[in-house]
Amino acid sequence: MKTEDLISILAADATPDAPLRPGQIAAASVLAVVVVVGLFLSLIGVRPALAQALLRPEVAAKAILPLLTCVLVAPVALRQLRPGAAGLPAARLLVPLSLAVGLWLWAFMAVPAPLRFAEWMPSAVVECLGLILLLSLVPLWLVLRMMGRGASTAPARAGALAGLAVGCGVAAGYSLFCTKDNPIFYVTFYGAAIGLVTGLGAIAGRRVLRW
Amino acid sequence: MMDREAEWSALLRAAMEGDGRAYARFLGLVTPVLRGIVRARGRDLGAAGQEDVVQEVLIALHTKRHTWDQTAPLLPWLYAVARHKVVDAFRRRGGSVHLPIDDFVDVLEAEAEPDALAARDSAALIGQLDARSAAIVRAVSLEGQSTAEVGARLSMSEGAVRVALHRAIQRMARLAKGAE
Repeated sequence: MKTEDLISILAADATPDAPLRPGQIAAASVLAVVVVVGLFLSLIGVRPALAQALLRPEVAAKAILPLLTCVLVAPVALRQLRPGAAGLPAARLLVPLSLAVGLWLWAFMAVPAPLRFAEWMPSAVVECLGLILLLSLVPLWLVLRMMGRGASTAPARAGALAGLAVGCGVAAGYSLFCTKDNPIFYVTFYGAAIGLVTGLGAIAGRRVLRW
Repeated sequence: MMDREAEWSALLRAAMEGDGRAYARFLGLVTPVLRGIVRARGRDLGAAGQEDVVQEVLIALHTKRHTWDQTAPLLPWLYAVARHKVVDAFRRRGGSVHLPIDDFVDVLEAEAEPDALAARDSAALIGQLDARSAAIVRAVSLEGQSTAEVGARLSMSEGAVRVALHRAIQRMARLAKGAE
């Protein structure tokens, strides 16, 4: 096929093509996370006396930190829909990351030594990691499917950012169920779970977002 | 010379509203520029390989044209798509390539030279389509028939021909990224 012939084929396929709408993808992604986490919480229930618990700063931080990270990362993830987008500026993660590290260190000093790692039982770790990962799978898959209509020139990075945003959103919702209020526990294992979802996003993105 | 940004973006905007003539003109203007980039960077590929890469970039521009934000300038979008696909095409052919973005700016701003490659025939993509899709693609391209004429000949509705053509292009896009 000569290139000029290819051009006439492409021109014959010049049907109106709806422009990409990142705002719609953002709204649908938020909805996917909210529905999945909402379903989980309505089936299994939020923690007892959630409202009072949220008045305690370390409990509120468990929801606010991942939510903040999600809000900071999501716009960068969405920008990956178009070719030539820049990556995540490291400074953007500096605030939530230093808050998380600070919280961990503060708890390490505030909590008496025998209690520091008291919650680190295999069952608790599996529950926390497993549920955050499990709840992230469907929203992440949906988000990547929607992002496939875009044209990311760095598919693995776009997938990782999507995973980071979804993982953080899910972790924030999951914290309303979780009763492990020691930051040493939740910073470590929420962080690990979010890291796993990010890695999964990168691996899936490399495949799904190629074009 | 009319401002390239203004001219090309007007053409693509019209194309995205369904104006095939504007679209053919847009692609016709972009092609020699792409060819210049590919030729300069992919000497090892030989003329045939270079033209295959040009065609892959054109198909990518086509299947991803909706990702151009029409409120933003066109040329940066065009550089990004072309650069990504050229690097990708060279990488899949076993070579690595270093493509500084400035190259694209320079080449896109230079006047295109007349080129000898245009008449070259490439079977790389169309050769991998199934017989019916290939027949439709050939009729529309080589014989210059309209989708209505092709439909009449193959006893298909014009709509069905358009759908088949659209699918054949999507298939070529998947072939071009090495997914099949």
